[in-house]
Amino acid sequence: MNRFALLSLYRSLTRHKLYAALNVGGLAVGIAVFLVLALYVRFETGFETWLPRHDQVYLVQTEWHIPDSPFNGAFPNTMGGLLDQMREDFPGLVGTRIRGGEKGGSVLRGGGATTEDIAQVDPNFFRVFDLPMLSGRGDTALASPASALISETAARKYFGTSDPIGQTLTIAVDSPQVYRVAGVFRDLPQDTELQFSVLLPLPKTVPNPYWYHWGSTSISTYLRFATAADARSFAQKLPPFIDRRGFKDLGKDAHKTVNLTLLPIARQHLEPQGQQSASRKITVATLGIVGLLTLLIAIINYVNLATARAGLRAREVAIRKVLGADRGALIRQFLGEAVLMVAVAALGGLILAELGLPLVNAAGGLSLTIPYAEIVPALIGLTLLVGIVAGAYPALLLSSFPAASVLASARAPGGGRAGTRMRETLVVVQFGLAIAFMIGTFVLVAQTRHVRNADLGFRRDGLLLVTSLSDSNVTPAQAHAVLAAMRTLPGITAVGIANQMAGGSGTNNADNVPLPGKPGNGPSLRWIEAGQGFFDVYGTKPIAGRLFDDAHGSDDGTKRAKGVAENIVITRKAVATLGFRTPADAVGKTVGGSNPLTIIGVVPDLRFLSPRLPNDPTYYVYKRDLPSDPVASLRVSGDPRAILASVRTLWQQMVPQVPFDGDTADARLGRLYQADDRATRLFAIGAGLAVLIGCVGLWGLASFNTQRRVKEIGIRKTLGASSGDIVRLLIGQFLRPVMIANLLAWPLAFVAMRTWLAGFDDRVALSPLYFGAATLLAVAIAVLTVIGQSRRASRAAPAWAMRHE
Amino acid sequence: MIRLDSVQRRYVSEEVETTALYDVDLAVETGEFVAIMGPSGCGKSTLLNILGTVDRPTGGRYRFGEQELAALAEPALARFRAETLGFVFQSFNLIDELTVEENVALGLAYRGSRAQARRARVAEAMDRVGIAHRSRHYPHQLSGGQQQRAAIARAIVGDPKLILADEPTGNLDTENGAQVMNILAGLNEGGATIVMVTHSPSHADMAKRRIDMLDGRVIASALRAI
Ligand SMILES: Nc1ncnc2c1ncn2[C@@H]1O[C@H](COP(=O)(O)OP(=O)(O)O)[C@@H](O)[C@H]1O
Ligand SMILES: [Mg+2]
Repeated sequence: MNRFALLSLYRSLTRHKLYAALNVGGLAVGIAVFLVLALYVRFETGFETWLPRHDQVYLVQTEWHIPDSPFNGAFPNTMGGLLDQMREDFPGLVGTRIRGGEKGGSVLRGGGATTEDIAQVDPNFFRVFDLPMLSGRGDTALASPASALISETAARKYFGTSDPIGQTLTIAVDSPQVYRVAGVFRDLPQDTELQFSVLLPLPKTVPNPYWYHWGSTSISTYLRFATAADARSFAQKLPPFIDRRGFKDLGKDAHKTVNLTLLPIARQHLEPQGQQSASRKITVATLGIVGLLTLLIAIINYVNLATARAGLRAREVAIRKVLGADRGALIRQFLGEAVLMVAVAALGGLILAELGLPLVNAAGGLSLTIPYAEIVPALIGLTLLVGIVAGAYPALLLSSFPAASVLASARAPGGGRAGTRMRETLVVVQFGLAIAFMIGTFVLVAQTRHVRNADLGFRRDGLLLVTSLSDSNVTPAQAHAVLAAMRTLPGITAVGIANQMAGGSGTNNADNVPLPGKPGNGPSLRWIEAGQGFFDVYGTKPIAGRLFDDAHGSDDGTKRAKGVAENIVITRKAVATLGFRTPADAVGKTVGGSNPLTIIGVVPDLRFLSPRLPNDPTYYVYKRDLPSDPVASLRVSGDPRAILASVRTLWQQMVPQVPFDGDTADARLGRLYQADDRATRLFAIGAGLAVLIGCVGLWGLASFNTQRRVKEIGIRKTLGASSGDIVRLLIGQFLRPVMIANLLAWPLAFVAMRTWLAGFDDRVALSPLYFGAATLLAVAIAVLTVIGQSRRASRAAPAWAMRHE
Repeated sequence: MIRLDSVQRRYVSEEVETTALYDVDLAVETGEFVAIMGPSGCGKSTLLNILGTVDRPTGGRYRFGEQELAALAEPALARFRAETLGFVFQSFNLIDELTVEENVALGLAYRGSRAQARRARVAEAMDRVGIAHRSRHYPHQLSGGQQQRAAIARAIVGDPKLILADEPTGNLDTENGAQVMNILAGLNEGGATIVMVTHSPSHADMAKRRIDMLDGRVIASALRAI
C-alpha cells in the first residue's frame, strides 16, 4: 500500500462515514463476542491445568450398571477404603483420597461455629496435588494427625495479620478436635473442581460403617501415573480386582454391577454424573459455536459491505489500472485495506470485550479476565486471518473490473450479476444464522421460564429448608428440641422432617422392589424416609388411600417387628412401575420380596431434584422419630426472610456447636436452575449481538443496494413510478433472501434445540410458535430496514437521482 | 400546451447559493419541436427537468394544458409522467440489469395496461427505432447509437404527449446522431411534441423553433424560416 492507496482509503471511509462505522463497528462487536466466548470456553475447558503435572492425575469413577436404577452411570466418588485395598494389591501405586470438601466441617470459636470447606486427605496428598505453598511444607505436614494446612484466605480469616504457623484451630468434621497449623497454601484458583480451604489428615479410622462396603460412594480417590500408558494398563487390571475384592458385597462378576474407571482430572469438570445429560459439555460447545458463528456473521458483514463499496470504487480502480497498477498491486492494496480495517475492528473488539466483561461475568456467574499476554498475539493472528479471509473476495472482485469499459462511460460497474448473487448468498447465510439464533433464544428463555414456574407438585413460595439438622454433630435430643421450638415460632405453620426436600438434600436412596409372582429383582425405585409433618408442609393430598398417620401405630417403620410388612406411600409414577393399573388398584397391595412393603396410599409426583433429572418412581417410608440424615422443611406465612432469620437465631442458641445452614426453597431450587439460567443469559447476549450485527449488515447492504440503484430508481420515476412502487420493488427483492434464510434456519434450529431440550426431563414442547415468531421478527426487521432505506431514496427528486452516478 | 410563468430554480446548499433559472417564461404549443441551446451550465437541463416534473421550480407557475402542475403532489406527478411524458437522456440511462425489450416495456410498467397489449406496443416501438433485432441484448452489449435508440423506444412506447430529450446526441458520433435526429423528426412529423436540448447547430436546425439560453435566462426565441 502506498501513500495514495491509504489516502484514497481514508477519503472513501470518511466520505461514507456511516458505512465505515457499520463495517468496522459490526466487526468489532463480532470480535468482542467471539473473544469473550472464547475466554469462557478456555476457562471451562482449562480446569485443573494450573496444577503441576495435572496430566498425570486421574480420578477414580464408580460406574453403576444396575437394571433400571436411577443411579446408573459414572460418579466421581468411590468407597472410602478403596485406596487401602488398591495399595495392598498394587504395591507402589501413588494415590490420595479427599473426604469432604465444600462445607465439609466447621471451625469452632468463641462458643460459635463457622462452616468451612474442610477436606481430609491422605498424608501423601502433595505427591498427587502439588499445591503451591506460601509458608510451611505441604508434603511433610500431613504426616502428623494433629496438623492442618490452611489457605491464604482462611489464614487471614482466622489469624488476621499474625503468623498462623504453630497456632491452633478447633475443627469439627465427625467430632471436634484441636489442630496445629503447619502451613499455608495459595488459594485455589477458580478453574478447579477441588474445593477446600482447610486440609486435615484423614483419620486412621473413619466413623462410617460403609467405609469398606463395595458399592458405597463417600469420598474421592485420585491416582497418579507417570504416563498415560501406565494408567491404561492399570485400568485393565481393575475388573479382576473388583471381582476379587467386591465379591463379598456384590456377588459374582462384581465389576458388571459396579465398575471403576479412570478419568483424567482435566476432564472432570465437564463430565456428566450418573444419569445427567452432558449438559455442561453441550453448554460449552454451544456457546463456543455461538462465538464462532457471531464472528462469521461479522465477517460476512464485512465482505458484503466491502464488496458493495467496491462497486462505488470501480472508477478509482479503473483509473489506477490505466495509470499502470497491475492486478497484484490492486489485490495487495485491497487486502492491505482489509487487514487495516480488521485491525481497527480488533482493537475496538478488545475494548468492547474489556468493557463488556463485567456484564458478562455478572450474567454468567463468571470471573473472566482478559489475559493480554496471550490475547494480543492471538488477536494479531486473528486480524491477519480475518483480514485475508474478509478481504480476499472484494480484492479479487475489485481488481478484476475491466478498466476500459468502466471508463468508457455510462456502463455502470458494480460487481455485475455474479457479485450480486454472491452478496445475496452471504445475506442468506447471515440472516439464516441470525434467525436460528433468535429461535434458540426464544426456546432457551421459554425453557428457563418454564423450569421456574413449572408445577413441582408443591408450592415453592413460603417454604424454608433447614439442612444443618443432618450434621452428625447434632445430637438426637438437640434435634427434637430444636424442631419442637421451631413449631412454636410465630409465622411457621408446619414443620416437616424427611431425608429429602425441595432442591434435593444430597441423600438419595434406591432399591429394587421384587413383584409378587414375577421373576427377577423387580423394578428399581427411589425411596424417601419421611418423618412427622412432611406431607403437611408440602401440601400433599392422597390420590388414593391415605397418608401416614400416627393413629396407625403400624405406619412407623422403626417400630416394626421383623418380617412384618412395612407401610409405604407411593407416587403416581410408581403405580405403573409396580404393575398396577390405577392408584386405587395399588392401595392395600403388598410388594417386595424378603422385605415386604404394603401400599397404604398414592400421592402425586413431587419434583425435588433438577429439572434435568428424570422424576423417578418413588415410595415413602415413615420414620416417626427421626429419619436418617434428616432435614427440616418449614411452611411459613409472612416474610420468609424474616422467619428464616428467627430460625437461625433459635438454632444458634440451641445448637451452638453446629453452624446453621438453611435457606428458602426458592433460593435452593434456584441453585438447580442457575447453570442453565447463566448459559441462557450468555447465549442470549451472544445471539442478541449476532442478530444485531446481522441487522446492521442488512441495513448497510440495503442502503448500498438502494444507492447503487439510485439511477434505476430515477429512471423508473421519470417513467412515472410512484414512491410506493419503488418501496415495493425494493422490499420484494430483499424479502427473497430473508425467506430463503428461514429455510436454512428452521432445520438448524430444530435439531440444535431438540438436542438442548433432550437434556431436560421437565421441558417445554418445541412449538412451531418459536419458529414463526423468529421468522416474523426477521421479516419485520428486513421490511423496516428496506422501507427506511428506500423511502429515502424514492423521495429523492428524480433529477438528482439521474445526475447521481 | 405548456406555459411557464417566471419560473425560478435556485439551489441552496450549505456554502453556496446557485440560481439555475431566473424568471423563465416559455410557451410550447402542441406539435412543436423546440431546440434549446446555450453554453454548458446555463440551465438547460434544469429547465428540461422542470418541464418533466422531475424537478420542482422554487418560484413561478407551470401549467400543462389546463393543469397547474406546481400544485400537484408527488403521486399525482408520477401518474402524470407515466401517462404524458417520454424522456431521452444524453447518457441513455438504460437499466443495466434489464434487456432492451424489458427496458422498453418499463415505459409501460407504470401505466397499468394489459400484458397482451403491452407486448404488441413494445414490439412496435422497437420496430420504429430499428432496435427490434437486439431486443434480448443487455445495454452493455450494444453500441451507443443502439442504446440511444432503445432509450427512445422506451420514451415513445406509451405514446407520450410530450417528449423531452436532453442532449440525445451528445454521446454519439455523427452518423448515429443523425439517425437519432431523423427518428425524432419523424416522431414530430407524426404529431409528437418535442423539447430537445442540444449543442449541435445542425441538429437544432432540424427543430421548428430554437430557444437560446444564457446564465439561467431565455435570451432569444426564433422560429425556423421555412
Ligand atoms: N443539484 C444542484 N445543486 C447545485 N447546483 C446545481 C445543481 N444542479 C445544477 N446546478 C447548477 O445549476 C446550473 C445549471 O445547471 P444545468 O441545468 O445542469 O446546466 P446545463 O445547461 O449544462 O444543463 C449550473 O450552474 C449547475 O452548477
Ligand atoms: Mg445539461
